[in-house]
Amino acid sequence: MIYEAAIGEDFPVTETDEAARLRRRDPAALAAAVGRYRHRLYRYLLRLVHDPAAADDLFQQTWLHAAGRIHRYDPRRSFDTWLFAIAHNAAMDLLRRRRGESLDDPDWGVEWATAEPDALTAAITAERSAILAAEMASLPAVYREALTLRFEEGMKIEEIAEVTHAPLSTVKSRVQRGLECLRQNITARWRKGDLL
Amino acid sequence: MTAHESTRPLLALSAAGLLDADGERRVREHVRECAECAAQLAGLAALAAGLSAMPSPAPSAQLVARTQARVAAELARRRDRISGVVLAFAGCGCGWVVSLGMWGLWDALGGNPAILIWLEFSAVLAGLTAAAVVRRRRRVERSFR
Repeated sequence: MIYEAAIGEDFPVTETDEAARLRRRDPAALAAAVGRYRHRLYRYLLRLVHDPAAADDLFQQTWLHAAGRIHRYDPRRSFDTWLFAIAHNAAMDLLRRRRGESLDDPDWGVEWATAEPDALTAAITAERSAILAAEMASLPAVYREALTLRFEEGMKIEEIAEVTHAPLSTVKSRVQRGLECLRQNITARWRKGDLL
Repeated sequence: MTAHESTRPLLALSAAGLLDADGERRVREHVRECAECAAQLAGLAALAAGLSAMPSPAPSAQLVARTQARVAAELARRRDRISGVVLAFAGCGCGWVVSLGMWGLWDALGGNPAILIWLEFSAVLAGLTAAAVVRRRRRVERSFR
């Protein structure tokens, strides 16, 4: 009866129920969440730190933090952004401790290549995954994060802002510049024939 | 600034699907007339599609199992801590209630203050010991599950 009424009002019964179970620190609900988010969370962490051992540690650390703070999770908000925000904090702490990894927004002027975009398109088509993965790894951390959250996680700009604790304009700028830098790097390498 | 210069920075935002309707219209109108920007937009759109379709690195099954076990242990540890505090308070409360009932006994034993202190202390200690025993038993029971 209650269930039918809830469906009639288009109420997210399952999510609310699951959120309530998580807030009650139900071990089964948390174990299920670990399994369900394993690909997305691990991919995000690996893109950020591009070191499998570090990504493994951060994966566990994120879930331990989540288990400890689950009572603070507000079920009206997205669990995705709440979880990814914890992962973001853990990853940023690690990257801050690493030498040579800047977390600032780079002040890069984008060179508008007059080169044939056909070459770029062909490169993307031919060796898309390998090229993109390698070029993604060479981008500054803030760009890597913005691109992976936008394109791999499919998050809205507001959700990315919530995860990264950055203003909307900054997130937009990071996605734009990240995409431009990626295009610029791929175009430059494709011209040199380094990759193919 | 020409329309070409002002529209170029919007190309990446358009490829990322982050432009509002007005910005999107400006881009569409410009790329209809500018072959260079049209090609740039096509390249950026292909790049965006490529990023969305990159293969997802999977964590090992051991990592997932280890994480689930550690999360379960962490939750059990927190539950133990909370139930330990609750039991300690409950034990003290029970001890106090029992000690109130000992007024009569104390009176019957002559009303010596030393006896009263001993009776009160014994009651609270018994309560705390009972709470510790219950907590320990719960932990042992959980380890056998």
